Amino acid sequence: MGLRNIFIAIVAVFAIGMGAWLSYQLAVPPPTPRSATVLPATAPLPDFALLDQHGNAATRDTFHGQWDLVFFGFTNCPDVCPLTLQALASARKELLESDQDPLPRIVLVSVDPERDTPAVMNAYVSSFSNDILGVTGDLEELQKLTKGLGIFFAKSFAEDGNYSMDHSAAVLVINPEAELHSLFSAPHSIEDFVHDLPILTTGM
Amino acid sequence: MRSVFVFMAGLLLCGCSGEPAPLVAADVVLTKIRPGAEARAGYFSLTNTSGEPIVITAVSSPQFEAVEMHESVLEDGVSRMRALEKVTIAPDQTIKFEPGGRHLMLMRPTGATGTVTLHFLAGEAPLLSVTAAVGG
Repeated sequence: MGLRNIFIAIVAVFAIGMGAWLSYQLAVPPPTPRSATVLPATAPLPDFALLDQHGNAATRDTFHGQWDLVFFGFTNCPDVCPLTLQALASARKELLESDQDPLPRIVLVSVDPERDTPAVMNAYVSSFSNDILGVTGDLEELQKLTKGLGIFFAKSFAEDGNYSMDHSAAVLVINPEAELHSLFSAPHSIEDFVHDLPILTTGM
Repeated sequence: MRSVFVFMAGLLLCGCSGEPAPLVAADVVLTKIRPGAEARAGYFSLTNTSGEPIVITAVSSPQFEAVEMHESVLEDGVSRMRALEKVTIAPDQTIKFEPGGRHLMLMRPTGATGTVTLHFLAGEAPLLSVTAAVGG
């Protein structure tokens, strides 16, 4: 009987172990973003009528059909804006090289439309990458977009009359249905973009 | 990560010939000026080798109409750029001007910028000049 009890005990321990292992396997959560914040519910982009860097219309429809990474900045910003665009361009290049699909598009929306004409935007964004979309246009139309997305911007005047722009530093992730899906808060890193974007765009 | 032109070895000048410079600059980097943009950033580290605090009140360059000391700050998710009226370096302290933080903003080039000189000033008094050939 002793042997039999030992046998039962071994089987029981094995069964418990298997059960624990199986439940662990089933309970492993899907990968989660380490930096990005996913909105509890997506929010459609508002209606707006702006221009791209070629002078063509840029509207909500422009954001249909692909994932977009949208950053708000301005070309006369020497530090944070080029750093962010460079980080986005580098992350996108890494994702491209690892055959990531879908590959998000990078979009720079100028919060300084007074100085950032489509021609200025074209020269500027193409210095980072040929596939960045630059968006600018009327201030009122810009405000429709920024207010709808909770993006802040304001002029900050220096003593000499020159101005800089204060602006929200987040990178917004827009899904192919032209809805705000998630966002990256600053400070940004290439590694976070590379880690999180496949999770955000494919759920894997 | 960034496209930068790295300053080649700088020439350190000191107002007090023979004495060691009280202020030493290293790792001077000038970001590439972007087409369409009018401003570029300058980054470096500065070490105060003297026994007294050093207060930098301005930086100038003959190659740019305007040079300002700035700081990028992030407040409640909003990126703001603020002019710094002065930067104080304690004895034996090294401070950095680096991406996303303190930086020089160099505006409106006066001509070719193959060689750039930066004058660090305390009021009117020159503290240090760095002349560097832009690489690349």
